[in-house]
Amino acid sequence: MENSNSYSPYSSSSVDSTKPSPSESSVNLSLSLTFPSTSSQRETSQDWPPIKPRLRDTLKSLRLRQRGYNTALFVKVYMEGVPIGRKLDLSTFSGYKSLLENLSHMFDTSVISGGTRDRKHHVLTYQDKDGDWMMVGDIPWDMFLETVRRLKITRPERC
Amino acid sequence: MNYFPDEVIEHVFDFVTSHKDRHSISLVCKSWFKIERYSRQNVFIGNCYAINPERLLRRFPCFKSLTLKGKPHFADFNLVPHGWGGFVQPWIEALARSRVGLEELRLKRMVVTDESLELLSRSFVNFKSLVLVSCEGFSTDGLASIASNCRHLQDLDLQENEIDDHRGQWLSCFPETYTSLVTLNFACLEGETNLVALERLVARSPNLRSLKLNRAVPLDALARLMACAPQIVDLGVGSYEDEQDSESCLKLQAAIRKCTSLRSLSGFLEAAPHCLSAFHPVCHNLTSLNLSYAAEIHGSHLIKLIEHCKKLQRLWILDSIGDKGLEVVASTCKELQELRVFPTDLQGGGNTAVTEDGLVAISAGCPKLHSILYFCQQMTNAALITVAKNCPNFIRFRLCILEPHKPDHVTSQPLDEGFGAIVQACKNLKRLSVSGLLTDQVFLYIGMYATELEMLSIAFAGDTDKGMLYVLNGCKKMRKLEIRDSPFGDAALLADVNKYETMRSLWMSSCEVTLGGCKRLARKAPWLNVEIINENDNNRMEENGYEGRQKVDKLYLYRTVVGTRVDAPPFVWIL
Repeated sequence: MENSNSYSPYSSSSVDSTKPSPSESSVNLSLSLTFPSTSSQRETSQDWPPIKPRLRDTLKSLRLRQRGYNTALFVKVYMEGVPIGRKLDLSTFSGYKSLLENLSHMFDTSVISGGTRDRKHHVLTYQDKDGDWMMVGDIPWDMFLETVRRLKITRPERC
Repeated sequence: MNYFPDEVIEHVFDFVTSHKDRHSISLVCKSWFKIERYSRQNVFIGNCYAINPERLLRRFPCFKSLTLKGKPHFADFNLVPHGWGGFVQPWIEALARSRVGLEELRLKRMVVTDESLELLSRSFVNFKSLVLVSCEGFSTDGLASIASNCRHLQDLDLQENEIDDHRGQWLSCFPETYTSLVTLNFACLEGETNLVALERLVARSPNLRSLKLNRAVPLDALARLMACAPQIVDLGVGSYEDEQDSESCLKLQAAIRKCTSLRSLSGFLEAAPHCLSAFHPVCHNLTSLNLSYAAEIHGSHLIKLIEHCKKLQRLWILDSIGDKGLEVVASTCKELQELRVFPTDLQGGGNTAVTEDGLVAISAGCPKLHSILYFCQQMTNAALITVAKNCPNFIRFRLCILEPHKPDHVTSQPLDEGFGAIVQACKNLKRLSVSGLLTDQVFLYIGMYATELEMLSIAFAGDTDKGMLYVLNGCKKMRKLEIRDSPFGDAALLADVNKYETMRSLWMSSCEVTLGGCKRLARKAPWLNVEIINENDNNRMEENGYEGRQKVDKLYLYRTVVGTRVDAPPFVWIL
């Protein structure tokens, strides 16, 4: 997984919410060292508590539905002119505003969507499921989540 | 010695049905041994590797029903890697070659293939009953063979299997002339179901008693099915997502009212919360209720349903019912014999849906309770002592405190005294699972008092080898011992090698046993299969110079009369 941190003091952990929340980490710390190590799935072990796979799956999908998202939605994000990209879980954002704020932090520049073509700002574009590159922000957020495949932060003149 | 002709003795033996009793009478004398073996109808093999099909057929040439179990119990919790074993194919091949008129096959934790099912369906003309529990390796194509070829099939019961659903037409493979269906359970299938074929099948099955649907059967189909089968005794509802008071909902309510024989209800795999109220009219007759998959139904709706179930004997439920809900169960279900409360919050910390209070309430309110499985966040010694006093009749007591090593949450003491009270009071206890913070002391109590104990599950418990030794020395009737993440090592493992001949199996994972210890055990006991399951890198174990002291990740040993099995995968090392 690409992990270059040369952009900004705002490392990926500030936007990456796949780390356990504070209350969850403190629970983990208090457990014995012999607690079964978690598998690649975050937080939960596959062999504890001792319940059958079918029930485990049912409860997992229930928990995900209750938290309001079906699955993580990782997309690649490239800054134009920079060969190494980042990966971002779009399902953690509530809308365009929080997405742009986080990208601005991540890439240490001002990122906007559409609107004024200012030399100062980078513009966020996305590739949709048809393969076309579009300006971010035109369609409702939910629809955007369904169609987005990758993101690109472009130099202003390009748009 | 025999004053009666063999036929008379055989007739008497017909009334002896339990496996243990049949075994006992076969030991009386040579003549009885011979009569018993030719008249044995039902054979139970608890470990498919303890014996092989050839020896089975030599001893019992005329049986009709075979029960086989494969993987160890902890396989249910992902502790046994895929491909370990438990293949049914050689058994079906051997039976097909013989002249056994197999009528019933019950498999648990075995690997079943479509090829096996096809061979099964073609080899036994009078085959009547197939029950598969926690099996894997087959698809709906295999089910299609069974449906097509088994003319006299009565039961097709698929419980919690991993089935590759090809969304085929297996249901339409039952011939139009086929009308003998009694049990049909396909709740574990994930794919679409041919509803037309299903409805026609149910309509031409006047003997249908048990029907358990998968999640692909929607509300309107359920209504039609119940209208065709008002004689149903056991129903598993698939999907129930519909608007309250919709036309389908009303039709269903009308159909349910006609099902006066309904005694058992389960399923609700996808359920809208309001759906349970449609079943209120039949609740007063229900003896069994399994809502352990109805994760979306709120506790309050569960309580409203249970308030009507005065005759309930068996209840499987999620902890979303809460302590308050369990109090309602305790005051309503006076006939309750078996209770299982499953967790909804797997991560622990926060949600305290059921506590020791719920358990105490149940023990106080339900005098006939003899089996319990209870997942909870917290427990106290005082509660367990009270439970033991209220319910000395437990046969199965399984308590799972979700956080390993968690002490009594009031006194911070280990839970030794609580479990000690349980084993001391419950003289008929056959199965026990312990959890929470436990020292060697609890095992001293178990060894001392649990004289009838046959199965013990230990996780994250104990301090030294003494703990395991107390159990091995004390529990004379122990058959299955499974231990994980506990500090028991070679000294305990090797203390009494002959003990394992009296047991079916021993499982130890993430304990302190070493490869050297296991090798010593295997040398001392050639009649045991000592299996080391090492997923990471089996070869590394041999190359390492300190192999003697290297800890073994998973150990599974079992008695056998047929030696080392030949179908073990590379990551299983049989010493």
